[in-house]
Amino acid sequence: RADPSCRYVLCEVVSEDPRCRQCIEDRALGLAVRDAIARVHGDYGLACCSISFTVKYLNAYTGTVLLRCRRDSYRLLCSALPFVRFLESRAQRYPCCLNTLHVGGTIRTCQKFLIQYNRTQLLRLLQNCTNEEERQCIQKSLLSCSLTEEQSQSGDEEEDDDTE
Amino acid sequence: AGPAGRAMAAAAFERRVLRRAAEHHYLRVRLELPDGGARPNAAQFKQLVVTALRELHGEVGAALPVDVLTYEEKTLSAILRVISSGFVKLWSALTLLGFYQNRRCAFRVLQTSPFLLALSGNSRELVLD
Repeated sequence: RADPSCRYVLCEVVSEDPRCRQCIEDRALGLAVRDAIARVHGDYGLACCSISFTVKYLNAYTGTVLLRCRRDSYRLLCSALPFVRFLESRAQRYPCCLNTLHVGGTIRTCQKFLIQYNRTQLLRLLQNCTNEEERQCIQKSLLSCSLTEEQSQSGDEEEDDDTE
Repeated sequence: AGPAGRAMAAAAFERRVLRRAAEHHYLRVRLELPDGGARPNAAQFKQLVVTALRELHGEVGAALPVDVLTYEEKTLSAILRVISSGFVKLWSALTLLGFYQNRRCAFRVLQTSPFLLALSGNSRELVLD
């Protein structure tokens, strides 16, 4: 089931501007990443990485992005991700940066990593709460989320909206 | 006789083979400008090489340590030196460069070698009488 010729790169979009979240869509992100690859690795790198390049999954609330690329060119892709400086949509540019979280061979390994990562992030958010109201809110959503059987493929049901 | 004989055999000869040990590769190239026009000087030639690398291999390619060791403006031929790990990138970039200042151009790679001394003679240009 796992295609051995692909690699999946999990990254998160970090931005200080909250309006950047509306730019997190597959077309804007795909263009930004390909533009970065073209700048850093030229025509050869762009062609190499574009062979099976897609944005497989997006989560605008948490800024999580899953990219797919060929196994032979994942290093070109990963080295170009730090050069993405802004996302553009509807003639507006918002500065951002992409952190690479995990590189896996299948979507399932990336999903497992993401579940674990989101757990630790939620705990960290809880620790960094500044007031009691936020703390109550997070605790309530943490206790209320659960993994239902028929939706076991998308483990991201566990996470909820971040406090913005 | 035993230990002495073995010591004699061990000192016979030793052979070392070093693969891909050269740090730099040297290329003798010639630029062809079939449509004529102003010839580039040494700095413009280097700029052209770096531009070719940037087009094909991006900023990473343009940052390759490439040196123009000699350049003759009259014949537009030069000797380039590049770090061995960037040899393939440089040659492919020179091959695919098509235009210089909107004029057609082509790079011809005449000789390459990991040793600069080897570029001093070219058996292809040898005239046998």
